[in-house]
Amino acid sequence: MIESFREAFGRALVEIGKENENVVVLDADVKGSTKTIYFEKAFPDRFFQIGISEQDLISTAAGFAIAGKIPIASAFAAFMMRAWEQIRNTVARDNLNVKIVTTHSGFSDFMDGSSHQCLEDIALMRVLPNMKVLVPADAYATKVLLKRMVESEGPFYMRLGRDYTVKVYDGEELEIGKAEILREGEDVFLIACGFMVSVALEVAEKLKDLSVGVADFHTIKPLDENTLLKIAKKANLIVTLEEHSIFGGLGGAVAEVLSERMPKRVIRIGTTEFGKSSRDYLALLDLYGLSADKIAKRVAEAVEGF
Amino acid sequence: MSESLVRSALNDKLKEMLSEVNNFHLNSSITCLEILKAVIAKKRENDVIILSKGHSAPAFYVILSELGLLSEEDLKSFANLDGLPSHVIRGLPFIEVSSGSLGQGLSVANGIALASKLEGEEKNVYVILGDGELDEGQIWEAAMTSSHYKLDNVIAIVDRNFKQLTGKTEEIMSKEPLGEKWKSFGWEVFEVENKAEKILELLFELDKVKGKPKVIIAKWE
Repeated sequence: MIESFREAFGRALVEIGKENENVVVLDADVKGSTKTIYFEKAFPDRFFQIGISEQDLISTAAGFAIAGKIPIASAFAAFMMRAWEQIRNTVARDNLNVKIVTTHSGFSDFMDGSSHQCLEDIALMRVLPNMKVLVPADAYATKVLLKRMVESEGPFYMRLGRDYTVKVYDGEELEIGKAEILREGEDVFLIACGFMVSVALEVAEKLKDLSVGVADFHTIKPLDENTLLKIAKKANLIVTLEEHSIFGGLGGAVAEVLSERMPKRVIRIGTTEFGKSSRDYLALLDLYGLSADKIAKRVAEAVEGF
Repeated sequence: MSESLVRSALNDKLKEMLSEVNNFHLNSSITCLEILKAVIAKKRENDVIILSKGHSAPAFYVILSELGLLSEEDLKSFANLDGLPSHVIRGLPFIEVSSGSLGQGLSVANGIALASKLEGEEKNVYVILGDGELDEGQIWEAAMTSSHYKLDNVIAIVDRNFKQLTGKTEEIMSKEPLGEKWKSFGWEVFEVENKAEKILELLFELDKVKGKPKVIIAKWE
């Protein structure tokens, strides 16, 4: 079943707004694209249009947090990164209760091309002290983790795609900081986040001759090191999958932990380039080696040559 | 306000404090003293002060010591590992947000002011900006936000000392006509000599202005 990240985000925001009157939403003139427009319609008094100015957006959100509100600052991932210094010096440094939710991350804004395709944000956010980083796998996970995030104190970065996610979950409990093992396996373990979780499940189905496990590491920070070590103990090869640079994202986080605590071969699958415009999301993923077919081929070759 | 808060005595204290640290931001602190005195004298209990030009921290510390909130020992500890931080940080008396990075204070002030309007509270948010700081584009993004939301509870005070890090403001990046700029952004603009009593008098006047944000350009002679 195909679902949309941003639809799930917009609808979940309205539910959260009903439950918690302290929640306010701040927009950088992309409310129709991020779907925060649903929150604006439901709670016009608690929706604040800041205009096309992400830096002002983040620092204004910091002010709301100082005043005791729970601000959700939302914009496109690529353009929120121009406020990285504001996120660093005000939000993270003062450990403020600001929730940053970006959409259109990875290749999900396929048509808009390289300027809009954000392949660096996990790395940029992960490096900041106090900041927690969440990358939900599907519409359901978006809704559940968004609620958990609003209930948790402190600064968070949640990264969402635009549309197009394949259903991974069906009513499971998800917790911040706890990875989900979706499928057990001994030869290879695929560790993924975001849309790539559903791709990982597809890859495991394709590699019928191998025992392939799949885990959803929706919380990149704090990383669930215990689950990672359990996985590394039984699997011969670890493969990380993300719609992000292989430098500093999920693959980087996994490799850092394993190299210190349980050295193991890790193959990081992600990007090393800027994106391109495309009329087709899946064709774009395939171009960068992120389709199930190409990943399956790469994993099979790696196992053979091991 | 304590009688001891006289210009010369505080200046001497500042100079003494900064003599051991190569006169760290001495000029910017001297020109901020009178502004801080006025704002602290005007501040009601739940009003907020944001020192956006965070490098004027020494001036702020000197004022806090005059108010008995910091000791002489504290002042001597300036920029020591376990002493007073060189730029203000959240948690110090009156300080709600850490600064040191220029250009963010007015946005933060807007957030607090918007939240306070949402709650129907009476709360003024005073934000102290450097004139050099006005080079930051975010200041003007925030200036638009303040006037868009008619934030009459936001009062910006520009320390117009005509100097920024490497030279005179009008040579580094010209600011004039500064009052006209703020006015065109929808602000009520007041220009005044940088003297505590004059700024204080003006701050009381400003309470009567409703429906728009207000800026005081405090000019150092």
